[in-house]
Amino acid sequence: MGIRKYAVIGALALAGVSLFGLSARAEDVKLTVWSLDRDIQPAPNLVAEFNKLNNGIQIEYRQIQFDDVVSEAMRAYSTGQAPDIIAIDNPEHALFSSRGAFLDLTDMISTSTVIKPENYFPGPLKSVEWDGKYYGVPKATNTIALYYNKDMFKAKGLDPNKPPQTWDELVDAARKLTDPAANVYGLAFSAKANEEGTFQFLPWAQMGGGSYENINTEGAVKALEIWKTIIGEKLASPDTLTRGQWDSTGTFNSGNAAMAISGPWELDRMTQEAKFDWGVTLLPVPKEGAERSSAMGDFNWAIFASSKHPAEAFKALEFFASQDDKMFKNYGQLPARSDISIPETGQPLKDAALKVFLEQLKYAKPRGPHPEWPKISKAIQDAIQAALTGQATPKEALDQAAEKIKAVLG
Amino acid sequence: MKRLLSSIRDGRGFDVVLVAFPLGFLFLMAGLPLLYNVLMSFQEVDMFSLGTFLRPFVGLKNYRDLFAQPETLPILVNTAIFVTGSIAGQFLLGFGLALFFWVNFPGASWLRGLFLVSWVMPGLVVGAIWNWILSGDFGVLNFILRESGVISGNIFWRSDPNYSLYAVIMANIWLGTAFNMILLSVGLSGIPTDLYEAAELDGANAWQRFWTITLPMMRSTIGAIIALGLIFTLQQFDLFAAITSGGPNNSSNVTQYWAWEQSFRQYDFAKGATISVLMIIFVMIASVVYVRSTRHEVRG
Repeated sequence: MGIRKYAVIGALALAGVSLFGLSARAEDVKLTVWSLDRDIQPAPNLVAEFNKLNNGIQIEYRQIQFDDVVSEAMRAYSTGQAPDIIAIDNPEHALFSSRGAFLDLTDMISTSTVIKPENYFPGPLKSVEWDGKYYGVPKATNTIALYYNKDMFKAKGLDPNKPPQTWDELVDAARKLTDPAANVYGLAFSAKANEEGTFQFLPWAQMGGGSYENINTEGAVKALEIWKTIIGEKLASPDTLTRGQWDSTGTFNSGNAAMAISGPWELDRMTQEAKFDWGVTLLPVPKEGAERSSAMGDFNWAIFASSKHPAEAFKALEFFASQDDKMFKNYGQLPARSDISIPETGQPLKDAALKVFLEQLKYAKPRGPHPEWPKISKAIQDAIQAALTGQATPKEALDQAAEKIKAVLG
Repeated sequence: MKRLLSSIRDGRGFDVVLVAFPLGFLFLMAGLPLLYNVLMSFQEVDMFSLGTFLRPFVGLKNYRDLFAQPETLPILVNTAIFVTGSIAGQFLLGFGLALFFWVNFPGASWLRGLFLVSWVMPGLVVGAIWNWILSGDFGVLNFILRESGVISGNIFWRSDPNYSLYAVIMANIWLGTAFNMILLSVGLSGIPTDLYEAAELDGANAWQRFWTITLPMMRSTIGAIIALGLIFTLQQFDLFAAITSGGPNNSSNVTQYWAWEQSFRQYDFAKGATISVLMIIFVMIASVVYVRSTRHEVRG
């Protein structure tokens, strides 16, 4: 009985102390952060570390699903329930900044000692810009390059240290590597009718002198013709049209494709699953010496214009940016920074791949920025699918896409 | 006042309350969203005006734009093929199975229950499984067809525009057959057996008995099931999301998936609403058929 009594008193005392503590902490500024990061990814960990600083700002974290980020954010903003900070996919950034939904951070950045525009890769930085002002800070970045199976190269008499550098070489290599009897396709990539298809095709169009505003240039048509050759000759699985990058690269890991076009997010899985020697090389170009290009993916941080504590929110972003140097080591993601050199992981395949991706990042171009990006992207996806299913020639398909995009651009 | 109270407790007022409550509930939960959807289809909806009610009125512009799009007609045709194909397949297979289990061999009712497994599974799970079955390079279906000599090369069910819609129809038939079978079994067991005994005495053979007794007695059940099938197939969304995403090149796109794509992929909420309104009209027609067919229910 006596013990129980003491326990009750103890509990009461504890409650009193914590009540006192809570009331003292009630003056903390409360911020909310939304992002799609899971517990092993940066955002929730950065938030937890930030909260431990006890600097009078407490952040509440909420995870949202990839597919819901934009619709959830729009709904929240239009009903006045928006969070203070959100992580948004880079092609959709302009959608919000152009409508004044995101806070203009230009002045804060100009006086910041942590976030300096010159430290970021130009591609990611451009995606947070609108009308010459900064509406966000790049959170991380990624791009695509060509993975190839060195063992298969050797087996088919190709030099494993000379991966294809031009489009023609790529098609040639794919022809040699394709082996229907062994269930092996030469190449795996994604031409799916969603953002992934656009993400994979735009670099090709850009290397061919095109751009999203100008999608039907001769070089872009050539690029789509190459894609059609690859699909038409079954150098890649016809399921490329309906399969995303993750699943397509899965066939590379299992030895059913000799090359794959995908990004650094594959590295961890590939080191575990691929039971062969592999390498990464830059995306092949139209011809030797031609201009390089690549896609640029990943998310940006932004502060909603409706935030009541913009200064504190920016402080949080500064903290996040200050932790960029640990991003690859802890979470396997690439910081969008050119001033950070990423330390080696000790896994030779991964370290070699990382070098290629960092080189490729220099040529990464953002999609847009344009407030109507989903419509532009849809026009490009439609063109890819129409051409690859044979319902239109590559030229016709891209002409149509150009027309649709022109209507969107106005 | 007292009269009003007593009328509510026991009288006409009670009837009014009984009617008003479900009506009010229906209006709130189904009527308002429907009306809001119709309203949206006549407005210019912007993602940032989602929270407001009064948006610029554009008349029939959304409808005109919709029908000016080249993909509209093929998608409507796809929807028609999907609905008729699915209903026909589900109904014929379901009816066949129902008749089979009606024979009442040992374990028939138990087995019939097991068939419901397909109906209980969530659409996305069914979609994922069919995704593997239909996969081009490693799919089970291709393997079976190849080994049995039906095809020589793999069919890319999900990625070949000639097959993609039928791939989803196949999955949908599998999903809906069990439900059809159960409803039809109930209808069959409602037919009085003395009818058959009498017919047998008169020398009618099995086919004649089926044609002149079973089918006419099942008319209302069949009407109801086809109307329900129409509603269910028009609601079928998960399978498209899981198997083909409407692709390639819209070859397997149907209105219900398209409406979602417009609203939540391209953020063109007005167009999404416009497509939904077209669907509402179709579903309304189906509902009328359903209600009418259940009204004339023949009870043994």
